[in-house]
Amino acid sequence: MENETFEILLIEDNMNDAELAIRALRKGNINNTLIHLKNGAKALEFLFGTGNFEGRDIRKKPKLILLDLKMPKVDGLEVLTQIKANELTKAIPVVVLTSSKEHPDIERAYSLGANSYIVKPVEFDEFTKVVTDLGFYWLLKNQPPV
Amino acid sequence: MDKKEKSDELFIAHKELAFQSQEKGKRAAELVIANEELFFQKEEKGKRAAELIVANKELVLQKEEKKKRAAELIASNKEVDELEKRVKERTEDLESFSYSVSHDLRTPLRAINGYAKILGEDYGAVLDDEGKRVLGEVTSNAKKMGVLIDDLLTFSRLGRKGITKSCVDMNNLVETVLSEINQSTTHNAEIKFSNLLPAVADYNLLQPVITNLLLNAIKYSSKKEKPQIEIKSERKKGALIYSISDNGVGFDMQYVDKLFGVFQRLHSDEEFSGTGVGLAIVQRIIHKHDGKVWAEGKEGQGATFFFSLPIIDKIELEKTTNFNYPNNGK
Repeated sequence: MENETFEILLIEDNMNDAELAIRALRKGNINNTLIHLKNGAKALEFLFGTGNFEGRDIRKKPKLILLDLKMPKVDGLEVLTQIKANELTKAIPVVVLTSSKEHPDIERAYSLGANSYIVKPVEFDEFTKVVTDLGFYWLLKNQPPV
Repeated sequence: MDKKEKSDELFIAHKELAFQSQEKGKRAAELVIANEELFFQKEEKGKRAAELIVANKELVLQKEEKKKRAAELIASNKEVDELEKRVKERTEDLESFSYSVSHDLRTPLRAINGYAKILGEDYGAVLDDEGKRVLGEVTSNAKKMGVLIDDLLTFSRLGRKGITKSCVDMNNLVETVLSEINQSTTHNAEIKFSNLLPAVADYNLLQPVITNLLLNAIKYSSKKEKPQIEIKSERKKGALIYSISDNGVGFDMQYVDKLFGVFQRLHSDEEFSGTGVGLAIVQRIIHKHDGKVWAEGKEGQGATFFFSLPIIDKIELEKTTNFNYPNNGK
């Protein structure tokens, strides 16, 4: 893991959603390397080189974090808070993924510094389009922080 | 003293006595009267005392009554507080419920739709036509359920939303809605409207009203060779009345009451697709504005949907909070 290069970090507890998101990115020709982590706790350990990821070179940072809000134990908002509170990670663009626009935490996500959020649509084609547009914007168009 | 002298003296004394006796009689009579008076006064006092006792008892009773009332008031106040608390809890429950519905029902739905799509894309070659059709049914039904969930959520959200009124240029609103419709749907309806009266309403809530009514008119006239839709407005009996008519399939007036119910439909999904929530949303929004909705139609001869809004003058409007006049200085 230490020497692996990666550009997208997907934090998503639902395996189906993760698989579909990855497929959507590939379909949209976003073939950037991606790491998928299944919960918030693991994601934080990964980003800050603790726990299971003790000793990982934390200077290797993703260009984009896709973050699901609803996760057991350490939820998306907690992960977001910690990412944005740490000098090391706060400049990484974080796109929040939610299942519905009803989500009461969307506003909080923005106030915590989320760069964007997307509602995962039921329609897979739509999902592909949304995920692709998003990847395109944040990975290709957007000037990444130095 | 001689005899004559004595007799004179006696005579005088006798007279004197007679006089005194008379006087005594008078006094006695006076005393009797005074006595009677006293007795009467005593009786009167006794009566008054009895009355006072009664009044006192009454007062005590009233005091107790007051105490009771106060206790009752406190109790009913508590009840109101309790009720308010319960309403608040229920509302919160409902909100978290609708969030769960929206989130938890959509998640498996997304998976169904997604994997069905993958099956079609990756294994389409090994599926025969019937297999592909069945797969198509899976996908389209999952999609339909997604729309249904979204519509229901919109409907339930309307119950909680407050309204912020402003002066709404209806011509402008209709144009905005139409350009959105034209982007998302293809239709060949001729849509006419001009000089619509401005309304005082919540712009963000009137938009779905117009969108739903226009989409309905487009949908139900889509099978005509020349679909025609007209939007009109008039002032009548202190209200603004807007109408949207089409020359489409219309409906039988005996079912008019069913039109605005949630999930009530007058057409099968094969004839005209829909979730049966649109007009319920329209009705809920217009009722929130203290207006009315109704419809007229005839099978095969088109339908007209009406909604009314109360006329609110400028002064009254300024009293209501949150009011902003739109900037007309362009």
